Amino acid sequence: MSVDASISCQEVVELLSAYLDGELDPFTLERVEAHLAGCDGCTMVLEEFRETIRLSGGLTVEQVDETQRRTLLEAFRNWRAGS
Amino acid sequence: MADPRKPPDDLVLVERLRAGDETAFMMLVDELGPSMRRVARMYVSSDAVADEVVQEAWLGVVKGLEGFEGRASLRTWIFRILVNTAKTRGLRENRSVPFATLAGDDLDQPTFDPSAFGGPGDPNAGAWSTLPFDWRGMPEERAEGTETLHVIGGAIAMLPPMQAEVIRLRDVLGWTSDEVCNALDLTETNQRVLLHRARTKVRSALEEHFRSVSEA
Repeated sequence: MSVDASISCQEVVELLSAYLDGELDPFTLERVEAHLAGCDGCTMVLEEFRETIRLSGGLTVEQVDETQRRTLLEAFRNWRAGS
Repeated sequence: MADPRKPPDDLVLVERLRAGDETAFMMLVDELGPSMRRVARMYVSSDAVADEVVQEAWLGVVKGLEGFEGRASLRTWIFRILVNTAKTRGLRENRSVPFATLAGDDLDQPTFDPSAFGGPGDPNAGAWSTLPFDWRGMPEERAEGTETLHVIGGAIAMLPPMQAEVIRLRDVLGWTSDEVCNALDLTETNQRVLLHRARTKVRSALEEHFRSVSEA
């Protein structure tokens, strides 16, 4: 079969999240990997995506408002008392 | 004694909640509360109503604990209750929010600026014509500083609400894509598209930031 299986940089960058999350079908995966093996630009962007994800993991979760915490704790106690 | 830093597995946690363990309950409130409030806010008219929805959802969680079977993760199950509560409340408020408002109205557009690539008719159509700034070599202390976190947090805050929540749950809190689809009632495809847009925008914000500090 003579299908043009090549894939452009512009297409590859749209697939990088799916690639990193292991969500590409085998056919597309093979094409993306073949492209990355020969493309420094896309490899750079891929590595920056990986780094973006890693750095995002360093964000801390905001605090829950203290009044809301107290209200919820009280509701939990009431439920327990009533059950 | 169990390592307090390691989250206990769901069934253990549910047992503790059923037994009325306040520490376990507040741990969940602190972990999930901020996301729950933002998700509720997508469907209802004000922060005050969102707070009520979150309270109502927790009540539903506590009442439903007996029925929790562990088929979904506990946090996913809690979010299902939250999203259903919020949607019901939104309907009662006669508030209907189009998906595009939550998800962003640019989902069918390319995420990367097309001008960075050769255009149609160009012998190098679709190949890089202008490479993005290479920030891979940033010294670690610079890359991992609080300024970087500030840039990431700021970029996430600018995203349409559903994109912001997907990247927070996936990349900040480390949920799986299955959990996020389930929790936020998204198809796999939508979740992937939202996450990719969000990551692309955060990566661009980092690129801008590192470019400006390297030129300074």
